[in-house]
Order: sequence, then structure tokens, then C-alpha cells
Amino acid sequence: MPRLSDSMEEGTVVRWLVADGERVAKGEPLVEIETDKATMTYEADADGLVRHVAREGDTLPIGAVIAHLLLEGETATAPDGTQAQPASRQAERGEDRPTTLPAAVLAAAPERGREAGVRLKASPVARRIAAEHGLDLAALSGSGRDGRIVKADVEAALAARAQPGAEAAAAAAPGNGGSAEAGPSPAAPAPQTTGGNTAPSPAPTPPQPAAAKGEVTLTELTRLQQVVARRMAESRATVPAFTVEASADMEAVIALRERLKELPGVTPSLNDFVLKACALALREQPKVNGAYRDGRFELYGRVNIGVAVAAEDALVVPTVFDADRKSIGQIAREARALAERVRAGTITPPELSGGTFTVSNLGMYGIRSFEAVINPPQAAILAVGAVEQRPAVRDGRIVARHLVDLRLSCDHRILYGAEAAEFLARVVRLLESPLALAL
Amino acid sequence: MTTTSPRKRRTKDSVTTDRYARMLLIRELETEAERQYKLARIGGYCHLSSGQEAITIAAADALEPDDVLVTGYRSHGFALARGVSPEAVMAELFGRRSGCAHGRGGSMHLLDVERRYFGGWGIVAGQLPIATGLALSLVRRGSEQAVLCELGDGAVNMGAWHEALNLAGLWHLPVVFLIVNNEYGMGTSVQRASAEPELYRRAAAFRIHGERVDGDDLEASLETCQRLLDLARRERRPAVLEALTYRYRGHSVADAGLAYRTREEIARHEAADPLKRARAALLDQGVGEDELEAIERQARERVEAAVEYALADPEPEVSELAVGMHAPGSAEQFERMRPGSPFGELELTFGAGLGR
Amino acid sequence: MTYREALRLALREELARDERVFVMGEEVGVFDGAYKVTAGLLDEFGPDRVRDTPISEEGFVGAGVGAAMLGERPVVEIMTLNFLLVAMDQVVNHAAKIGAMFGGQVRCPLVIRTPNGAGNQLTAQHSQSFDQYFAHVPGLKVVAPATPADAKGLLKSAIRDDDPVLVLENLRIYTEKGEVPLDPEHLTPIGRARVARQGRDLTIVAHSYAVVRALAVAEKLARERGLEAEVIDLRSLRPLDMETVAASVAKTNRALCVEEGWPTYGVTAELAARVQHACFDDLDAPVERLGMAEVPLPYAKSLETAALPNEARLERAALATLELVPA
Repeated sequence: MPRLSDSMEEGTVVRWLVADGERVAKGEPLVEIETDKATMTYEADADGLVRHVAREGDTLPIGAVIAHLLLEGETATAPDGTQAQPASRQAERGEDRPTTLPAAVLAAAPERGREAGVRLKASPVARRIAAEHGLDLAALSGSGRDGRIVKADVEAALAARAQPGAEAAAAAAPGNGGSAEAGPSPAAPAPQTTGGNTAPSPAPTPPQPAAAKGEVTLTELTRLQQVVARRMAESRATVPAFTVEASADMEAVIALRERLKELPGVTPSLNDFVLKACALALREQPKVNGAYRDGRFELYGRVNIGVAVAAEDALVVPTVFDADRKSIGQIAREARALAERVRAGTITPPELSGGTFTVSNLGMYGIRSFEAVINPPQAAILAVGAVEQRPAVRDGRIVARHLVDLRLSCDHRILYGAEAAEFLARVVRLLESPLALAL
Repeated sequence: MTTTSPRKRRTKDSVTTDRYARMLLIRELETEAERQYKLARIGGYCHLSSGQEAITIAAADALEPDDVLVTGYRSHGFALARGVSPEAVMAELFGRRSGCAHGRGGSMHLLDVERRYFGGWGIVAGQLPIATGLALSLVRRGSEQAVLCELGDGAVNMGAWHEALNLAGLWHLPVVFLIVNNEYGMGTSVQRASAEPELYRRAAAFRIHGERVDGDDLEASLETCQRLLDLARRERRPAVLEALTYRYRGHSVADAGLAYRTREEIARHEAADPLKRARAALLDQGVGEDELEAIERQARERVEAAVEYALADPEPEVSELAVGMHAPGSAEQFERMRPGSPFGELELTFGAGLGR
Repeated sequence: MTYREALRLALREELARDERVFVMGEEVGVFDGAYKVTAGLLDEFGPDRVRDTPISEEGFVGAGVGAAMLGERPVVEIMTLNFLLVAMDQVVNHAAKIGAMFGGQVRCPLVIRTPNGAGNQLTAQHSQSFDQYFAHVPGLKVVAPATPADAKGLLKSAIRDDDPVLVLENLRIYTEKGEVPLDPEHLTPIGRARVARQGRDLTIVAHSYAVVRALAVAEKLARERGLEAEVIDLRSLRPLDMETVAASVAKTNRALCVEEGWPTYGVTAELAARVQHACFDDLDAPVERLGMAEVPLPYAKSLETAALPNEARLERAALATLELVPA
């Protein structure tokens, strides 16, 4: 299983593009793999005969063998993914048959390898059911003896996985005015079909509260949705967050933007100005462009700003790399292109990785102000509301001005109140005197 | 209980060229077996009976075709005497398919069901209780037949001896217990092993007739065996017959046989060798030297042919490893045992003829 | 009908059906049987068919072997399994070997039936279960009925079988009552286990008297805790019906193996080994075992009760297998 993103720990084989036993040439598409961020096409890195090990739908950790690419005269061998033996060497050892192991053996082996360090305690049946449903046992806690994950834990997790998705879908249905059934996200097709066969449960499953909530539709989470759910829950559970809030007067930005419209090319959006302002402020205040990790501060040399983009049933955060060194025009072009790719489902994992700070903007929905959830391990996230005309006091008089509310959510383990305030004030000043942004 | 005097009951025609030929065949086969053992073509234990041919042939010839024979593990001679072919015996010693136990028994477990020879048995005295059961079956069927149960002088000190004789006496079973007393149970002489070294006297404890015979005297042995088997058949009177004889070779091929006896002792017995005695009797009867030499040559050739046969005979197929262990039809009973079988069990037991 | 009466019925039917069948053992005739299983049979069938023997197990077990080799169908009663030890040579080294050692040319259709089991303050030399000694031996078949119906059905199957079969009865089941088919052709097949009770939470594998205990505990668990244990009555120890065991464990994911004898190297050891192999991916907990405490059984009632796999111990073991109490 190739590593296709920085946060990828495991991937799912979505589709084999070369059938088992067929030949593939170097550079030809071999397999589609779904990571926690996107579905990628993986190309063969050598010519050879493909022997599948993983089946479509299998979720395997990085480094696990998903296939053997046999060169001339080779046969599949070692279950630990070591080099296939040339046929001639087997002949020397007097073996008259190639030691081809069943795919199940080969597929099972890497899991052992991964657990060699810290052995995950799970009963065999729990392992089997989890594997059948693509459930990561590492995310569960065991209720069996000595914390062993038992069948009941897996079944509870499967039930939990199905349940919230259904409620969300049901709740969303009237608003969408459409079907409650969530189609597969282009960025992340569902890794497993729903309604898989669950083994009989020792405890009777409580009846669904069908009467009270109407018909319940169960929807499996896509891998992406799973990641969002896990990361957000992790953020809320582990990050001591606080917010600081300020309003910025956007009249100068709007004026500048009018001027820029006269130039050819893409006109920056108001949000692009916010991005640029943040980028400059982040350069000046490295702790905001950092992370609290394992008891230490990590301060990053590059300023990479993630831009939250809503996709269908998904939340994707593509990254504008080195935003502090890019012109407002360049930022504008990149942000637009990234958003397009997210909506088209062609975004690639590298473009979704490496963010050091995030900006989330719901202004287009008319939201004045909201609080964003920090994307761990980043130190902060900026929530940007709608730019609208509001009464403001200028020189003792009430006047109508274009204002925007900015709320900065901060991880208090790395950012303290004064630092957060200083950063947000700097962003406000840059927006209110935007000449520096236009450089 | 009397000690038979062989001279009184001598019958002129019991030493025949046929019996001489069959005694010779036993001697030749035993000699060849030792040679083949040393060539590593015969494995395991291999107990030879050279020197015991007279009582062996006499006992076998006293049996009627429907009588039943069981013996201990020194069984080559009895198998041949009962009519098993030297080829079937040698093939069994070689562990081949056409062996009389299909290569499953070896030296100690020769048998021939058609000839009512129900086995050489390997545990000292283990065949004695079985012999009472064989006799009990004859009684239940009302057949006028008897069982001859051979045992060695070592077996009389086993518990099974006492239990079997008690049952035979108590239930009036038609069984003759033939003690082939060759003076040693392995390396322990009868004198050193038995508080009552006149072994036939032990029958008295069970009110069973006991008798002793010179087992190297073919005529006397034949007459005694016939008489006691007759009593068993007609009157359901069990008996113990102690035949005094001697084995020239060690307890088994692996025993040189000299730690517990002297070369002089062996030589003394060889001087009165039953084969020599029979040969002299035949010469007395006017059988020509040429004819005897021809018989001797034929015996050697027959054994050589048996070796040739055994060498050419294939070894049993591994695919038939479990054949015979259970009665036909048992495979279905074992069919559901397969899940979780230990490594190799499915192939070697369930797949190799179990229940065939 | 009691278990004892079911055995007697089986003997009577088979004695009447087949002339080759005869019963032999200590006190089976005039005395009516030490445990009265053969009561009345001497009067009905006479001393040739119901044969009293001296106290001479090696002798008359061997006699049974010999008679069977000539085609009789001897049913040898051993007063209790403890006394079969002195005839071990005849059972293990003779009867069991005949088929294989003689290349399948001779058969030994011998039945040895004997009560097994511990309890009743019979103390060390008469209170034990040796099932595994015999179930260990290729060439033998070993059955252990737990109900009156199977007592009849398995004894009849054993008598009709062409191989040596050891029928293990149990002193404490002799008085158990149950429905017994009166059909003289009612046979319980050898090598087929029985699901004695359906359940979803736990599989209890047992044989002989342990089945009675397991069923009592299963009912208690259902009544008091809503736990449903499936009870498998093995009925045959050799051949062993692993298909039924494996199917049950695949359903419940947890297995407790119980035997009346010492568990070390025992029937439960064999079961645990085969279950872990056959059901590895179905197991939710380690296979648990319960047997008699590993001591020669003492006389004092308090100690005897504590040492046996009694219902209280069995219940705890079941809960431990379900991880509801510490192991």
C-alpha cells in the first residue's frame, strides 16, 4: 500500500485497473486507491505480471502488500512482502513447485507486521468482522479481558458508524429538497457497500426508533467523512480552545478591489485579501503558524494556508502553499483553481496536505459570525463572516461601513490571549490599510 | 500328569520326507531371515526359531484344518508349518504388500485367516486370554474343534497365564496351551525365572492336565499334540503341553545369545539337532541320500525364490495407510471429525483408507 | 424409562435379535449385575448368553477379544471403569490393534460397557473418569451416552459395529429418566454429536454426566441472567463430531469444554486444540476448560464436592468464558 498523503495511515483498494494475471507496463494506471483525503490512481513503477493480493474494498495499512509485480521468471512468495524469488533459486533448493501462498495468507501477513511493535488485542472474530467491514480496530477500545476488543465492541462501532450518518442524512433531506440518500462523494467514494452481513449479535439489537423519527435511512460514511468526524471530535476533545473576535472595516479593500478589476486576469475575492492578510501576519507571528505536538511547539518555516471548501457531503481543505510569498493575484488564481478541483473531485492528496493555518469563510451564506473548529494539530483557525454594510462609529458619528466579523479560534496550549489578540489586530490593520496586501 | 516317554509311543510312519522337507524349509528361512536382517531388508524385532522345528511341525500337523492356532511372536516357523507360503512370510518380513499381514505386521504378527492362524502376538502372554475366547466361540457354536495356543517359557509367569488357565479350566474350553520351552525367556533361564521350573506342573493349580514332551522328537511331539487336541475337541478338556527344545540363535537377531549360555551348551544341543534326528530316521527307513540331498537343495531354492519374490513385491502405498484399521463403512462415522484436525491427519488418516 | 432400563432394553433386544451376542462379566448373571443393568437377563437368555466371570478382567476381556475375532458379538461388562485398567493391555494392545496390525483381515466386534465417573464418596481408586485414555487410541471407538434414549441407541449401535467399541456409562446417570424409543431399530449413530440445548451466547461442549450438569447450568443462566448457552452432547468421543462443535462455536464465538475427569491431556484438551484450529476466526475469547481438580479424589464430602466440576464451578466457568467474572 503506497503512502499517498502525509496523514495517510491506510488506504482502500477501490478498483484494480489491471486484472490479476495480466501484464502491465511501467507508468500504466494499475489501481485506484482511496486515502483519507482522495481517490488516487496509482501507476505501475515497473513492467511485469500483476498478481493481486488485496481485493477491491480491502483496507490495508501503508506498506502492506497489495499486489506482486512479477518480473520475468519470478513467482510470488514471501508473505511478509519481501522480494519474490527468482525461479532459478527455487530450483536450486530442490523445490519442484513454486511456493505460491493463498492470497488470504499474503493479505493477512502485513497486519501482523504492523502489530509487531504494539500488539493490538482483539479476538479473532472481532478481527474478522472488522476486516469484513473495513473498520479500523485501532480506533476502538476493548471491553474484553485486559482490554481485548471483542465482537460486541466491533458491532457497537459498526452500529455507531451507521447511525449518525443516517440521522444527518435524514435531517438534511428537507433542506436539500431531495433524496436523503447521500451519493458517493466524488472526492471520496464510499469504501464499503452498506448492509454488509453482520454476524449474529449476542445481545438483541434494540429496535430502530422508526415510529418517532419516521423511516430511517442508514448511510455508511465515506473515508473522507470518517476522517472529518474523527479529526473534529479529536479537536473538540483534546484542544483547549478559546476565541478572540474583531471586526474589520473592509471599505479600503473594496475600493482597492474595484481598482484591481480594471486589470486583466482574475480579480481577487474579498476572501483572498483575508488570506493574504493572514499570510503576512503569520510570517510575523510564528507561533500562530505552528502547532502544539507531544509536549512541544512546532514552528513551521512555510506559511501554507488551508482554505475550507464545501464539497458535496464533504469538507475539503486544499492548501495555498507559501501564501506569504505570493501576490494577491497569484493567491486568487490558486484558490479558485483549487476550489474547482475539489468540486470536480480531481484534487490530489498533496494539494490537501501541509497546511499550517486554516481560513474558513461562510460569508457567502450571509452568516455574520461563527466559530470554527480547529483542524489539529494547527494552532488556530480563522472564521470569516459576511462582508456587509453596518452602522459604525467614525469620528463620533454613526456611518454605514462595510464590516466583516473575524473570529480566531486558538489552541491555548500554544497561543495565549495576548498573542491571539495581537495576531487578529494585525490582520484587521492589514485589511483596513490594504496597500501592503496589493504588493 | 505324566512325563511322556517318547520311545513307547513311537510310530514308524510319522517321520516322513514331507515333514523333513518342511522342517528344513523353516531352518533355511530362519537362516536366510538373519542374513536379510543384516542386509537391512528386514527391520524391527526378528525372533528366530532355529532348533525348534520338530515341535513346530508336530503341533501344526496335529491340527485339523478347522482348528485354530495362535502363537507368540516367534512365529515364522508356525506360519510355514501351518502352510503359509515362504513368499508370503518373506514379503511380510520385508514389509511388502503381498506379505501375509499386508506389510502391517512384520515378523511378530504373521497370520493366515484362511488357515485359521489368528496371529503371532507380540506381548508376552497376551494371546492366552484371546485363546480362551477363541475356544469359547468354538463351544458356543457347538463345533468339535480346538485351539492350539503357543507360548514361550517366559509367559507362564504373567498374570494373563493364570487368568487364561483359570477360565479354560472353569469353562471347560477346548484349548491346548503349548509351552515351547527353549530354556530361556530372553536371557533368563527357566530355573532363574520360575519357582516351579517343571512348567507343565503349573496346570495342576487349575485342575488342567499337564504334560511334558521332548519337543525335538518329531514322533513323540506329534503323538502328544494329537492326543491332547483330541481330548480338547471331544471332551472339552483343556491341557498344558510343555515341549522341551532349544533355540540356537539369540532371543532375536540383535542378541548374540552368548551372554547367558556357553558355546558348549549350544554345541551340545546341536549335536542332537531335530533335523539330524529326522534325517537319520529317514535313512533308517531306507530313504536314499540322493533324495535327501534333493530335498535340502529344494528347500534352499524355495527360500531363495521367496527372497526374490519379496524383493520384487512393492511396498504398501501410503494412500492405504489407514486401510483395515476400522471396519468397512466406518469412514462415515469419522467423517465429521475433520474440522480442526492436527497437521497431516486429514491426508494420512482420513485420506488414506480409514474405514476401508 | 431410566438410563439403566434403557441399557437393559438394548441388551435384551440385541440378545434376542442376534445369536452371536452374549453378555459376559462379573456378577452379570446370578447377582443381576453390580448396578442391575443386566437384571433378569440370565433367566431370559440362560447362562451361555449371560455369562458370569471370575474377577479376572484381563482374562475375560481377552476372552471377549478372541470370541469377537471368530465372529461372536461379546458384550463385556466391566463393573466400573477403574477395573479396566488391569485389562488395559487387552484393550489397547490387542483389541485396538487387530484391524490394522493384521492388514484388515481380522475384525474384533467387541463391546465393553462400563460405568465411569466420580462421586458418591467412592474415593481415589473408584472415583475417576478415564475416557481420554481410550479415546486416545486409534482402532477403538468410544461412545458416552448422556440420556436414556442414547444409552439404548448407542449401545445397540456399538453391538452392531464391526469394531471394538467402549461404551462409557455413568453411575450418576443410571437413575436419570427420559423418553426412550421402543422401536427395536432405534439406533444412535456413532460419530454424531447432539445439540442438547440451543443458545447464542456460549457453547458448552460436554459428554456423559457433564451434559446433565451443563444443561442445569444453562437453564440457570437463562433464568437468572438471560444468557443462552448452547449445550453440545458429544455422545461419541472417538470418532469425534467436530462439525457440530465447530458450527456451534461459529455461532456463539465462545466455547467452554467440560469433562468429569482430569482436564490435563484430557477430552477438553483435545477439544480446545481442535476448536482453536477449526474456529480461529470465530473466537471472541480463549477456549475455556473445566474438569475435576487434579488430585486423587478425597473421601470427605466437602472435599469431594469441591473437586468435582459441580454446577457452581461450571456456572463460574461459563461466566468467565463470557468474561462476566474474572477467570
